[in-house]
Amino acid sequence: MNKTANVVIIGGGISGCSIAYNLAKKGVEGIIVVEKSFLASGSTGRCGAGIRMQWGAEQNCRLSKLSVEFYENANEELKYDRDIEFNQGGYLIVAGTEEENEQFKKNVELQNRLGIPSVYLTPKEAKEIIPHMDETKILGATFCEKDGHLNPFHTTEAYAKAAKRLGVEFMTFTEVIGIDTKAGRVTGVRTDKGYISTPIVVNAAGGYSKKIGEMAGIDIPVYAQRHQILVTEPVEPMQKPMYMGFSLNIYIQQTPHGSFIMGRGDDTEPTDLRITSSWKFLEEMAKTCCELLPPLKNLNIVRQWAGLYTMTKDAQPIYGAVEELEGFYLAVGFSGHGFMLAPATGLLMAETILGEETTIDISNLDIGRFERNELVFESSVV
Amino acid sequence: MLIKTGVPTIDDIIEITPPKDRRERGPVAVIECFQRIPCNPCFTACNFGAIEEFDDINDRPKINYEKCTGCGSCMTRCPGLAIFVIDESYSKNEALVKIPYEFLPLPEEGSFVTGLNREGKPVCRAQVKKVQIMKNKTNIVTLVVPKEYSMDVRGFSTMAYDDENTIICRCEGITLGEIRKLIEEGYRTVDEIKRISRAGMGPCQGRTCRQLIMQEIAKSTGQKIEDMPMPTFRPPTKPIKLGILLGGESDE
Repeated sequence: MNKTANVVIIGGGISGCSIAYNLAKKGVEGIIVVEKSFLASGSTGRCGAGIRMQWGAEQNCRLSKLSVEFYENANEELKYDRDIEFNQGGYLIVAGTEEENEQFKKNVELQNRLGIPSVYLTPKEAKEIIPHMDETKILGATFCEKDGHLNPFHTTEAYAKAAKRLGVEFMTFTEVIGIDTKAGRVTGVRTDKGYISTPIVVNAAGGYSKKIGEMAGIDIPVYAQRHQILVTEPVEPMQKPMYMGFSLNIYIQQTPHGSFIMGRGDDTEPTDLRITSSWKFLEEMAKTCCELLPPLKNLNIVRQWAGLYTMTKDAQPIYGAVEELEGFYLAVGFSGHGFMLAPATGLLMAETILGEETTIDISNLDIGRFERNELVFESSVV
Repeated sequence: MLIKTGVPTIDDIIEITPPKDRRERGPVAVIECFQRIPCNPCFTACNFGAIEEFDDINDRPKINYEKCTGCGSCMTRCPGLAIFVIDESYSKNEALVKIPYEFLPLPEEGSFVTGLNREGKPVCRAQVKKVQIMKNKTNIVTLVVPKEYSMDVRGFSTMAYDDENTIICRCEGITLGEIRKLIEEGYRTVDEIKRISRAGMGPCQGRTCRQLIMQEIAKSTGQKIEDMPMPTFRPPTKPIKLGILLGGESDE
C-alpha cells in the first residue's frame, strides 16, 4: 500500500518516538514512524536505562541536563496513563586510576558551572552512600543525586502514545528496504509493506543507522557494537544510586522493582549487529561485580541479554542534516547514551528540521565534524 | 424483587431447596417456580406421584422429595424452564446439575464451559457431562460443577470459564485481566507484553506464562499459536549466583 508523508522517521526506539512527538507538537502533520519490529525492540529496550548529567564533554552535560528536566515531568507532559518510573536515586561514579580521579575533579567543575549539582567524594564518603562497596578499590568518586533511572519500555510508550494522539502514524513490523533520492533530494522510502513518498527522512535507526545511511548513499562514521547486560532476581532495596566506573568498567543499578541490572564494556565484542549472549560476559561481569561490591555475590542472575551501542569516534551523537542529501537527517551514534538523551534529541531534531533556532547549539555535533576533525572526546563511557 | 429483577431472593431459594440429606442421597428435582400462574405440566409429567395434584391450577407446585427419583420428566415439560435436577452424590467434591436448555448450538460433551448463576454471572468452571436431545426441543444439558455450586449454577456460557484475577505470571503477579487489557490495547506479541507488563521477567523466565499469554493472544486475535513469532528465550536457563561464576576459570 502506497502512502505519502511529510516526514518519515526510521526507527521506533526512544529517539524516533521523541522526534515524532516533538515534530507533531510543533504542528507538523503527516509523520510516519517506521519500525522493523515493535517499539523499543532494539537498543532502547535493551539498555541499562540510567540517565546521568555527569559527563566530561560539555555538550553531553547540556543535552542530559535538558533531558533530566524533561523526564522529571514527563508523565504529565506526555499525559501517560501508566508510569515511566523515573527514579532519581543518583549516580555514584568511581575513579579507578589517579588520572581518572584528577579528571573527575575537573568534570565536577565543568558540571557545576553548567548548573549540574554534582560533588566530588573521597572513597570513605562514597562508601556512606553505597555501604556494600569495597572502598579500597577506588580512589575517589563523584555523585549527582539528580541522576537516575527510568523504565525504557514505558518511557518509549509514553512518547509514542502522545505522538499518536497528535496524529503520528506508527508502522511497526515494517522494514525499510530502500531510500529513493532524486537530484540530491530525498523522495521516498521503500518498505516491505509499501512505498512512502516523503521529502524528509530522519535516520533514528540505532544500530542499523549505518545501513540506512548506505541505502541513501551516505557513509555515516558509526559502527554498532554489542554490549551485554544482566539482571538479577529482585531483593530488598539496598542500593539507591547507580554505581559506575569507567576504568573499572562497570555499571550496576538496583531498579525500583528490586532487581539489579549490571553491564560492562568489552572491546573484543562483535560489531556485526549480533545481539546474542555470551558466557564470557557472565564470568567477567561476575568477577568485576564481586570484586567491587562483594556482598552482591549472593544475588541470583535470572537473565542476560545484549544490545547495540552505535559508536562514534568521539562517543558523542551525530545530529542534523547531511550536506550531500537534502531532506536526510541524522539522529545517530549515541554511543550507548541514546536513551538518556532522547528528550533533547527529540526537541533539537524537531527544531533543526523546522529550521528553528535550537534550544542548545548542536552545530558542532554534525556529521561534518569528522571530516573537519573537530572532535571533542567523551571519556566518561562504559 | 423477583418481579422487578427476574432473580429470586435468597429466601425464595431457601424455600425451594431440597433438604441436605435428600440432596446427598442422589438426583432430585428442584422446582424454581416462584409465581402463581395457570400451569400444571409438571404434575402430569411425573410418573412417581412426586408432584402433588393441584387444587387450583394457579397454585405453585409442591414436591414430595421422598417420592422424587430425579428422573427429569417434569424438567423437560416445564414451559418456564423452571425445573432442574441436581445430584450431589456424584463425587466427593462435585455435583451434577441438569439444566433444561433450548439454545443452539448445543455444547459438546466433555467440553468445559462457564457455570452461570441465576443472575447470569459466571461463578465456576463446569464440564458438560451429557447432552440429551429431546423431541420437544427442550434439551437437557448435564454439567459437572463443584459441589458448593449445585444450588447456584442454573445456566452456562460456552466460553471457557476464567477469572480476570487469575495470576498468569506468578513471578511478577500479573493477572489474566491485565494481559487481556494489553492485548485489547494492541500489544500482539509475547515480547511486547513482557516488556510493558514484566510478565515473564521473573526468576522462572516465563516458563508458565509464555504459553498462557500466547493462548490469550490467539483467543482474542484469531491468530494461530504456530504462526506467532517465538518469544525470546534468554540465558541462563536457571537462576545462578554471581559468586558461583567466579570459580569458572580454575575448573577449565
